[in-house]
Amino acid sequence: MSNLLASYKKTSRLRQESRWATSLVNLWLIAFALISIIPMIWLLLAPTKSDADLTNKNPLMFGRLGGYIDAWKNLQFFDDGVVFQWALNSIWYTAAIVVIATISASLAGFVLTASNIRFKKVFLISTLIMMLVPPMALVVPVFVLMDQLSLMDNPMSVILVASLYPFGTFLAYIYYSTTIPKELYESARLDGCNDFRLYSRIALPLSWPLISLLSFFAFIGNWANYFLPYILLPSSENYTLPIGLGFLFYSTPAINPGVGATSVPVYKPEIALAGVLIALPIMIVFLVSQKRLVRGMLSGSIKE
Amino acid sequence: MAKAKKASRQRTSAAMYLMLAPYVFLLIMFGIVPVLMAIHEVPTPSRVNADGGWDAFKIVSQDFRFLPALQHVLQFMAVFVPLTLIFVIGMALMLDIKHSKWKKYLRLAYIVPASISGGVAVLVWYVILQPTLSPIKTPLSWFGITTSDQIWQTKNLYWIFALMAFFAVAGNWILIQYGSLQSISYEILEAARMDGCSALQLALRIKLPLIKKYIIYMGVLIFAGGLQLFVEPQLLNTGVYAGIAEAWSPDQLAFELAFTNGDFGGASALSIMLLIPALIGALIVIFKTDMFDEAEVSGKQKVQE
Repeated sequence: MSNLLASYKKTSRLRQESRWATSLVNLWLIAFALISIIPMIWLLLAPTKSDADLTNKNPLMFGRLGGYIDAWKNLQFFDDGVVFQWALNSIWYTAAIVVIATISASLAGFVLTASNIRFKKVFLISTLIMMLVPPMALVVPVFVLMDQLSLMDNPMSVILVASLYPFGTFLAYIYYSTTIPKELYESARLDGCNDFRLYSRIALPLSWPLISLLSFFAFIGNWANYFLPYILLPSSENYTLPIGLGFLFYSTPAINPGVGATSVPVYKPEIALAGVLIALPIMIVFLVSQKRLVRGMLSGSIKE
Repeated sequence: MAKAKKASRQRTSAAMYLMLAPYVFLLIMFGIVPVLMAIHEVPTPSRVNADGGWDAFKIVSQDFRFLPALQHVLQFMAVFVPLTLIFVIGMALMLDIKHSKWKKYLRLAYIVPASISGGVAVLVWYVILQPTLSPIKTPLSWFGITTSDQIWQTKNLYWIFALMAFFAVAGNWILIQYGSLQSISYEILEAARMDGCSALQLALRIKLPLIKKYIIYMGVLIFAGGLQLFVEPQLLNTGVYAGIAEAWSPDQLAFELAFTNGDFGGASALSIMLLIPALIGALIVIFKTDMFDEAEVSGKQKVQE
């Protein structure tokens, strides 16, 4: 009896300990969530305040909504409103990259599954290698290439290079090979379907989840890309927002103590607004597509 | 006519090659050709390598900026890689202890800092580590930090860049590793629980070994990405504190060699030197783990049923 009582006491103590441990873990999980969002909250609030308020008042205090409009107007004084051009550039380069990358990757993934093309293994292995090697390692060589092709300072250079999408091709390959049975292609072929129609009538309509996955990764990989346009597009009118932000750092006194007073009213709230324009679209896409992120990064090893 | 019929019966038609063409064109043109051009560029004569030849590798490695840049990036990696790996795995395991609906909001919060990278990261961290502006003013003062010049010094940069890089990637990887933990079958976990495994034992003895390959995958991607640190030091150096991070990372040095010194041979040599570790990492993941088994390229054929 006393044994039983002792063991009962032991388990209840264990249970209590584990409840303590669970609460502690949960507390930490919540604390890290708060730490994670503080920088973004600061960034989103900064354009609502004046430069002086950013220093003198509580950093996480809200200013006024009109601050956003003022900051945007002030940004237009910089280089005759070039910031608007940067935003347009960012949108159209990224859109072009997303379209070309998604189409080429989806087609390649389909061909690699639906045909017995020669050198299939070579394509797959070079795709995997390209996918794991960081693109920055190739930037200086790419510059040399673009210089010889006379594509320097031409947006096509960035669009073409960034449209090489090995990760997307790999995703498409895995998607097609795990979701569409080969027999479906065979029977369509017997019915007289040619290979173009095999893709457009059978594979594509069955792969909208894949297309959204491909566009998601192409977007997040390119919207904030810095190194490639920085090197290939030296003229200010061709900049994207991330390059423009760097240029604003460099040429205004907002956070650069080396620049003296200027007549252009670009200070911290204005710079923060430029930051918001870059970070906010990415954050929204991340928040609505977090499942795609996980599914994409783990595809090829976890069967759905 | 007969010939055409025969061609259409062959397994691979011209249409297939045509559909593969855009990707293959991009792969060859912007993946393979640049590497070949870089190799070709190395031995061209330049101001520092007057006679040309493969000495470019030696000359670059003897550049007075080379060793410091290498040292900086290694210091940075020594903080960033283990910090990220351990933290991410720990967080994923903690999230996985007990499933509750409210935790999905935590996962959303963790992903927020991923949208702050590059220039935006420099701006945000400039503010966070600037005691006059910082939203964490009080915690900074606990460590005796009241002026920005206590923080923004070249010797502290590897910590700062490690923090920036950590916050930019940790959230994504927490979600991904949490996802990999969901792939563990319920039966295995239940059996371990029946045998009296505590949550901690379950995590260390059962879950960790089962997601090993995802951890290696993450390790390689984090390592290869870390080696290519460029944007943050470059922006900090050109746009915020002039001279604080001049040729601080090897990628910056490659950039400076090419665009300030006009030494493309040296820049290419350095690019190749940086490419090799990334390449080795990639080959390890492809051939030494079963991460990409579904792609059937590693030679380890799946057992056919």
